[in-house]
Amino acid sequence: MSIPALIIEDDEDLANIFAEALRGVGFTVEHVTDGKVAQERLKNGEPPYLILLDMHIPHISGGDLLTNIIKKEERLAKTIVIITTADARMGETYVEMADFVLIKPISFVQLRDLTNRLKPRESSS
Amino acid sequence: MNYFNALLSVPTTDPDDARRRRLLNIILLAVLLAAIVALIAIMIDNIFDPQVISSETEVLLGGIIIFTLGILGVYLLNRRTPGRWAALIFLILLTVIFMFTDSPKQLVAGRSLFLFTIPIVMGSMLLFPAASFYFATLGSLIVIVMSLSINVFPNVPAIIGFYLVALASWLSARSLEQTLAELRNINANLDQVVHERTQALAESLERERIEAGRNQAILNSIADGVIVFDRQWNATLANPAVRGMLEIPIELIIDKNFRELIEHPKLQSKSRNLLYAMMEQDTQPIGFRIEWGGKTLSVSAAQVYHRTENMGTVTVFRDFTREAEVEKLKSTFVAIVSHELRTPLNAILGYAEMFKEQINGPMNEKQINMANRIMSNTQRLLGMINDLLNQAQMEAGKLTIKMAPFKPSDLLENLHAVMDKSASDKGLVLTSEIYSNLPFVLSGDLERLNQILVNLVNNAIKFTDQGAIHVKLFSPDENKWGIEVSDTGVGIPEAELPYVFDTFRQVEGTATRVHGGFGLGLSIVKQLVTLMNGEIKVISNMQEGTTFIVTLPLAVPESFPKIGD
Repeated sequence: MSIPALIIEDDEDLANIFAEALRGVGFTVEHVTDGKVAQERLKNGEPPYLILLDMHIPHISGGDLLTNIIKKEERLAKTIVIITTADARMGETYVEMADFVLIKPISFVQLRDLTNRLKPRESSS
Repeated sequence: MNYFNALLSVPTTDPDDARRRRLLNIILLAVLLAAIVALIAIMIDNIFDPQVISSETEVLLGGIIIFTLGILGVYLLNRRTPGRWAALIFLILLTVIFMFTDSPKQLVAGRSLFLFTIPIVMGSMLLFPAASFYFATLGSLIVIVMSLSINVFPNVPAIIGFYLVALASWLSARSLEQTLAELRNINANLDQVVHERTQALAESLERERIEAGRNQAILNSIADGVIVFDRQWNATLANPAVRGMLEIPIELIIDKNFRELIEHPKLQSKSRNLLYAMMEQDTQPIGFRIEWGGKTLSVSAAQVYHRTENMGTVTVFRDFTREAEVEKLKSTFVAIVSHELRTPLNAILGYAEMFKEQINGPMNEKQINMANRIMSNTQRLLGMINDLLNQAQMEAGKLTIKMAPFKPSDLLENLHAVMDKSASDKGLVLTSEIYSNLPFVLSGDLERLNQILVNLVNNAIKFTDQGAIHVKLFSPDENKWGIEVSDTGVGIPEAELPYVFDTFRQVEGTATRVHGGFGLGLSIVKQLVTLMNGEIKVISNMQEGTTFIVTLPLAVPESFPKIGD
């Protein structure tokens, strides 16, 4: 069973690494690089099981997406939100709204192990 | 009295001549007075006893009149002619008159002989000391001649007496002249000294005047604003630059208390507190900044001491607006750059990790080792960027301390999680302990405390090649708690100890290459500790190790018990 994860990250390389980590533990990864696109996707698409949200993305910031969409849409209430940022203080600001805050640099192993623990129980082998 | 003085005075510059002639004048006037008194006495005697005037009286009367006229002549001569002529004539006149005061027989027999001692004594005073001998000789000759004229053996004891009087006169006159000469010398020297002193005083006053003028000119032309306050903080002096810098009339500064300036609406309220703090402190901080009507001013203050007395305070204001802007720009730039640098570094780190984790198939040991090296170097680079970012934030004043409850044990947990590997990679042991007197929960900024501890331990690892790093959390007294990090490393030379917390500085120039980093770690620690109102000190022994001790104000969150565990 595949678990849908959405990575919102404008840096291709980081997105690639994060995706690799998530795929490694059994997630199906979808990737968007832009705030506006992410907003559309969240509003209209299937709610993902997990969102990896970068705070610094173009057009609509990660913070706005979190406050205005993710926390407002009833459909996304069960979705696990991990925010990623290079700014520790910004991470602190949103710590109440997110399930996890990861401060960059984010380790491949760290992310892989974390997301592995977050997988739904019935799907863990 | 003045009239009397005018009668006695003689026009001369030679003090000896003046003295002699003045003395002669006194004698002349006295003798004149005596002659007049004698004349009056004779006349009164004649009125009460109107007998026929005897021939003796006639001679006496004529003698006195001639004598009086002679004295007057000598007086006039003495008034006009410098030198000893008047005195000589007077003395000879006196001697001659004495010759005729008595009959030769009586004179030689001794009745009037003492009269001859008068010119002897006067001669030494009025002419010169040895003149007494000349008049003794003159007196003696008169006595001898007169004795022979009446066929009497000369009066030898009288002649010996004349010479004895002459000797005494000579000695006393001579010593008087010598004393006077010495006195005049001393006076002349004194005059010289007074003159020199006066000259020196005048010169130094002039120098002081020039110096004061020069200092004023310097004060007027320097670009920094200078205000001098007395001990009550009343402004006693302000240079023109202050007016330009503060853009207020000088009357609002001079003679006004500093408080009035501090309360000026142009001053930002945060700066107000800084200036009040400066007023209250005994030791002035050097160079803090205030915001004054859109300008940034750097303020430094120094107390003025004259000898040991506190005279007040000199404050110097420097326009720091441009520098502050540049500094802020620089800090923002560094912050952005560091931030942007972290993203690609994160990517490098991630890919290297993927190699190491053999995500895309098996790798040999050499390849895994290389991946490890990429990772550790990237970590180092990230550490440096973090340091730079922190430094920039601190310089921009953006870094603040947020107090929240935390467990000291969390601090050590994080430390071991982050630093154990670095320590073991170098073959070192990282140990830690919490003293039981430390409260279970404290109030503080956990993130910044972590940073302090990690930086201190990182520094210890850098400079230790073998042995152990020991971390201790303790409480020296009920108001403080502390972090102690000690190592068994190379130690810090004593001369370098004062500089260990300087930005971009490492002990010895080559250390950067050997140990890596910018040397920012300890500087950041120091700044963070200062931000937390704490203190840091360092103790080091060469080849034995170094211990850093951080002490911080102890604050326990209200809802937690003071003693735990």
